[in-house]
Amino acid sequence: MHDEPDDTELEEELRRVAALLNPVPGVLLQAAVEAFTWRTVDEDLAELVFDSLVDHQAALVRGSQDRRLLSFHTGDVSIEIEVTRTGRSRALIGQLGPPQPASVEIRHRTGLVTLESDALGRFSADSLRAGPISLRCRSGPVADGPAVVTDWVSI
Amino acid sequence: MRSQRADREDVAVDPDETGLLTRAAAGGDAAAWQGLVERFSGLVWSVTRRYRLGAADAADVFQTTWLRLAEHIGRIENPEYVGAWLATTARHESLRAVQAATRILPTDDAAILDHSHTDDYSPELAVLDAEQAVLDSDRAARLWCAFHQLSGRCQELLAVLMASPPPNYLEVAEALDMPVGSIGPTRARCLQRLRERLMSQQPDVVWHSPGNE
Repeated sequence: MHDEPDDTELEEELRRVAALLNPVPGVLLQAAVEAFTWRTVDEDLAELVFDSLVDHQAALVRGSQDRRLLSFHTGDVSIEIEVTRTGRSRALIGQLGPPQPASVEIRHRTGLVTLESDALGRFSADSLRAGPISLRCRSGPVADGPAVVTDWVSI
Repeated sequence: MRSQRADREDVAVDPDETGLLTRAAAGGDAAAWQGLVERFSGLVWSVTRRYRLGAADAADVFQTTWLRLAEHIGRIENPEYVGAWLATTARHESLRAVQAATRILPTDDAAILDHSHTDDYSPELAVLDAEQAVLDSDRAARLWCAFHQLSGRCQELLAVLMASPPPNYLEVAEALDMPVGSIGPTRARCLQRLRERLMSQQPDVVWHSPGNE
């Protein structure tokens, strides 16, 4: 790709000004570095396969701007959550599929919230702060089944 | 900051090095992960800035993008293109945040894409604070002002191109969801417009870049 030297100089100058006027906040750089500590190695990853926010048909059907349905999937495990917003506070109702008891960790930037689902795989949490979350679920009566983590998603 | 070169392939981040860092981080190397953060934070940030998100939403998108990568890093199909993966993820997460905030974004509206009102920190103040920097503050202010007078399309493209360190064209294409082939010509046109804006602000000033010689 050929490039006019003047263009390169002007772009470089813009880069210096942007780095000065609109730098990546230091606290976010630190958060990006620390994101690595949340990495899991052995868990199955349940990817985000459905989000009512960006699936317009579903959003129209549900008709509520304050409730959001998210669906994660891997192999034959699915995790569905419904998130309700109140300001910067979030409440969450979840359903593990196939229905079964499980231990559920809500991974959040301020730490972990650990829950037990009921026998049908239902769980709930409230007073969560808005921001990125991921769920880590371990199924079975004594939570000894395979562990599944979901994609991170900002709620 | 990288030195200036005439050829973009020299200034843009090297895909081979990126591939090595990605594979090392996937193997648990925290220093390699930090290398990826240093390499691509500017790109991810520039994408979140496109969408007129509030400070909290922009921070959430930025963090979600890196957390998402932490879980996916061992599964990335082309480790050398992790920058493009990050740009795509940041774009999708930004769109979710826009939807969640139920804001509509007409991307061709230059006035709406003027980000200055979302910044807590005014350009003028930042420039004053940077008196020690090797930067002509008056020139910087005029350049920033001229940049914000460009069309929305030009601002979008240049905002991503001027991330630090410089992204390559594939990453820019993913960030903006535009064909790689159209980036070069659009960039040349937008930089020309920027130059014209600068000239029209101060017609008696001869164009030069401070600090290059």
